[in-house]
Amino acid sequence: MNHAYGNAPMGVMDPPAVVLPDPGHFAVRAQRLHALSERIEPLGAFLAFMAQLSRAQQVVLERHQPQWLPEPDAFALALKHGMPPLGVEALRGDVDFHTEFAALLDALDLAIGEAQRPLLAELRKMPRSGIDQLATRVLTGDAGLPSQRGLMPLVAAGLQVAWLRLALRLPAPPQRPPPEARAICPCCGSLPVASVIQIDQIRSGVRYLQCGLCATQWYLERAKCSVCDQTGKLDYLSLEDETGEPLLPVQAETCGDCHTYLKIVPREFDAQAEPLADDLASLALDLLLAEKGEYRRSGYNPFLWVGNEG
Amino acid sequence: MTLRVTRRQFFKLGAAGMATSSMAMMGFAPEPTVASIRHFKLTGAKITRSNCTYCSVGCGVLIYSRGDAAINNIDDIYHIEGDPDHPVSRGSLCPKGSGLLDYIRSESRLRYPMVREPGSDEWQRITWDDALSRIARHMKDDRDANFVTENQAGHTVNHWTTTGFLAASASSNETAYLTHKMVRSLGMVAFDNQARV
Repeated sequence: MNHAYGNAPMGVMDPPAVVLPDPGHFAVRAQRLHALSERIEPLGAFLAFMAQLSRAQQVVLERHQPQWLPEPDAFALALKHGMPPLGVEALRGDVDFHTEFAALLDALDLAIGEAQRPLLAELRKMPRSGIDQLATRVLTGDAGLPSQRGLMPLVAAGLQVAWLRLALRLPAPPQRPPPEARAICPCCGSLPVASVIQIDQIRSGVRYLQCGLCATQWYLERAKCSVCDQTGKLDYLSLEDETGEPLLPVQAETCGDCHTYLKIVPREFDAQAEPLADDLASLALDLLLAEKGEYRRSGYNPFLWVGNEG
Repeated sequence: MTLRVTRRQFFKLGAAGMATSSMAMMGFAPEPTVASIRHFKLTGAKITRSNCTYCSVGCGVLIYSRGDAAINNIDDIYHIEGDPDHPVSRGSLCPKGSGLLDYIRSESRLRYPMVREPGSDEWQRITWDDALSRIARHMKDDRDANFVTENQAGHTVNHWTTTGFLAASASSNETAYLTHKMVRSLGMVAFDNQARV
């Protein structure tokens, strides 16, 4: 606001309801994963690999040209009527996932360690139908059998590239979803990986859910369960080390009404925090909560798959 | 009833599942992480929505407190910030609102009803029942003594001008309505809400 005495700082006036991902999102995530790999020692090698994977995703996003891309106005009707324009079911057949995925494996080839090289070889010799099956599992949240579970994060990474590319082509973000549909991504209909509390000037302190697939962020009120909408029995649980220092800027937003939790990442504590990366790095929080046994996890992180046979 | 659109899958991400997780299957040992949880403890916080009490703007605040809600200990409040979802204030607070935590912790904060008897220079603590009874008694006596049913021209007025009423600032429309009903039904003419500080 400008007036005769100078400029008043702008506050949060009308925070955007839906924020499309940034073209550099994978690079930001890779950087965060790399930093976390040096900080969280027990997960060091795992997070370092995921950092490489995200870096490869960025390379593919920037350099690969998929054979099919939607026309810029293809989603005008969906946007106008408040439908998720990039619905996973609707676009599976059109999206050129296989060349994206092949490009991702090539980009990863240079960086991958010896222990993980067999994964690459296995995926390369797998027929398209096999890859498609894995992709279906990733998109429906089915952890499948342990024997193929190690391949799923790589397939998921390919799908993330394909869908983030689509999200970048949208002429405008979708509208805020109606109240009954705020648990799923307004762009692609996938589940959120975690919440993030923003710090930018126009949305400082505002909470968004971030899509586990296309990284779109959508607004949800603070201090409210993202699963059941209740507000009465929420707790924010986090890990402290022996000196009382928090391990990461990550809390579990646990709900005593539906007994689930979704992680929430206040960027105020660490501006570099990225929901998917910080969710992975705070695995110890999940393990401790599982030990308590009161809450089940609702976050969808396609870089980590756990079955129910354990 | 509207059906909620959800594709939620819930699961326990526990130590038992880690051995067959994608992480283990990719060749990364989950054991160090499983072992590492012994070094951490879970700490909890609560966030409660409220309104700033200072003025009639009624800015939304989020109040952070530690520990168990069952122990409703006011000392547990450790942080207060503007509520970015509040339609009036959108997360902003004025300097007074930003100092709410000090207000809660203030040693001179009024925590219970007190009375200074006529002629005394000391404040004494009384119960809420005492306080309300005494106020009601004063009001009744004053109203009985000073209630005016007719003015000089003989018109019925039924008013009470010797007692006034000052209500709080952070009140809702419903509170304002009830205040109005109560005050006017007694015939009181002078009343205000504390809206300017």
